[in-house]
Amino acid sequence: MSTSSAPLTRPAFDRALWLVMPATAFMLLLFVYPFLYGLALSFDPKEGDWLANYKFFFTTDNQWPTIWTTLKLALPATLINIGFALPIAYKMRVKSRYQRWVTTILVVPITLGTVLIAEGMLTYFGPKGWLSQFLQLLHLYDGPIRLTHNYWGVLISLVISGFPFAFLLILSYITGIDPVLARAASTLGAGPKAQFRHIYLPLLAPGLAMCFCLAFVQAYSVFPSAVLLGSPAGPTRVISIAAYEAAFEQYDYSLASAIAMIMGFVQLIIVAAVLSLRNVFYRGPVSGGKG
Amino acid sequence: MKQDFSELRLDRVTRRFAGAGGKAFNALDELSITVKRGEFICLLGPSGCGKSTALNCIAGLMQLSGGSIWLDDTRIDTLPPEKRGFGMVFQNYALFPHMTVAKNIDFGLRMRGMSASDIAPRVAKAVKLVQLTGQEHKLPGQLSGGQQQRVAIARAIVIEPPLILMDEPLSNLDAKLRIETRAEIRRIHHELGRATIYVTHDQDEALSLADRIVVMKDGVVQQIAPPPEVYGQPANLHVARFMGYRNVLALDVQHEDGDRVALEGPDIKLTGMRKQPLKGGKSAVAIRPEEILLGEGPGGANTISARVRNIEYNGRDSLLDVVTASGTVLHVRATGAMALGDNVRVHVPVDRVLVYPGE
Repeated sequence: MSTSSAPLTRPAFDRALWLVMPATAFMLLLFVYPFLYGLALSFDPKEGDWLANYKFFFTTDNQWPTIWTTLKLALPATLINIGFALPIAYKMRVKSRYQRWVTTILVVPITLGTVLIAEGMLTYFGPKGWLSQFLQLLHLYDGPIRLTHNYWGVLISLVISGFPFAFLLILSYITGIDPVLARAASTLGAGPKAQFRHIYLPLLAPGLAMCFCLAFVQAYSVFPSAVLLGSPAGPTRVISIAAYEAAFEQYDYSLASAIAMIMGFVQLIIVAAVLSLRNVFYRGPVSGGKG
Repeated sequence: MKQDFSELRLDRVTRRFAGAGGKAFNALDELSITVKRGEFICLLGPSGCGKSTALNCIAGLMQLSGGSIWLDDTRIDTLPPEKRGFGMVFQNYALFPHMTVAKNIDFGLRMRGMSASDIAPRVAKAVKLVQLTGQEHKLPGQLSGGQQQRVAIARAIVIEPPLILMDEPLSNLDAKLRIETRAEIRRIHHELGRATIYVTHDQDEALSLADRIVVMKDGVVQQIAPPPEVYGQPANLHVARFMGYRNVLALDVQHEDGDRVALEGPDIKLTGMRKQPLKGGKSAVAIRPEEILLGEGPGGANTISARVRNIEYNGRDSLLDVVTASGTVLHVRATGAMALGDNVRVHVPVDRVLVYPGE
């Protein structure tokens, strides 16, 4: 016991806050500064007034439609990934002999880079690829199979590379829900479907919204597979290709910055919309009481 | 799903688990009991004795490895839990955190497809029964532990199940609330008039609540009897130890005369009542601390001389450790002034010396 009569006031500055410094410096140097630099650059076009880059983007026919082209890839890819990952993660929530194996196999693609996946897909899904040859060998489908160098190639690659991410995220949300809740629901007359609908789904909703945002942002910035597996001049000319061309083919960094800002803004709108939806659902601890 | 019944019959219900090294062990070994409508049954035992396994088997949350469960003439152990319709109260309450108190309570009724107009009065009645009126629109996280517990009870009883299963429902409450809620549970049981199966490791809880107690150890039933019998006449040494017979002495059997057995140790001579067939001349004698009395027995019978070694003051009385000349320690509950090192004479009535086979 201290006998000193010093007043028990809180120190004005908590020295533990110094621990935040490295992360803050990192953010400032590698994110905030480049972002602000790009923002400023986008309003400083090679010619014309300060909004010239934005005017150019929204009035040029091979520029502004890239917003929709990218959305048409990123939204379905995100929904497919979550749609596939949710039931599988739900099945994998209980520990079983297969759980570890299935999880490992499903997660492997995350270790492959997008370029590697693209190379593999070109060999497998291509017109003379294994899939095509196999189907024709068995006479299951004799027509030409076009799953590369078009929209479908990019979509499939986004699913392959995005699925493990969505799966792992949802699995961690699901395993965080106390299984006793479902058992309690079952004693009250809820069958497996009702347990999912009334217990798991509402408790998962905020997590699914979060997962959607992260997966969407990832998919919206698609670049390598859109070039390698798509038709970068046509249906898969995504917004990042437009930015790339501006920066490294026309050497117009100012325009490229403006396109990057627009890309970020679209992502922000979707994320904000989904997260505001999240507030409708219950958010809080997902266990059923004490203990 | 039945709403009413006359008896629930468990017939050699067995549950095996794969243990360490792939060796299967019986978490529950051939539990047979018939529970009548209106009865309050307590499954009592230390943790790991199989009492919760038994409850989960009855609820349908665990499959049986053997045996069968019958509700009157219907075999129910093959049904999933949602088809059995028993109400269950979980140890950690398992309230749905995203639903209000009212939604938690009416969940079972909604699952049965009841109309809102039928649900409302039943929920109101259940809320009143557990005294939660005015709390209906709160989320479970906004309630105290005791209130959460009552929501869990209301949720289980509102479906008017033939059977209510409770898995250590009081273990998360503080001592005062535990005793209050205990009385509540007993009152609710009487008001509903159905059957309750209640799992606990607390013998006071079991004694105060149950019509019959099922004492278990290592998955095996040790005794099924009304509380006074389990308390006063434990079927074996395990039950005796669990029911507070703290003095267990190893004594040699001198001779048996019917159920009366004369016993002898280094400096102890006792006469007691045999509770199980004895073998090999060795016995284990169980005596409650509060049944050892200060002073000489009638005619000096069943009297032991000892010295006070430790005194634990408990308010109404004290718990003494007394030690005989040869070093045998006895726990004695006694009132009156006593000092360390005092020499005392204590005795035990013959019918309170319970004799079991030696270990």
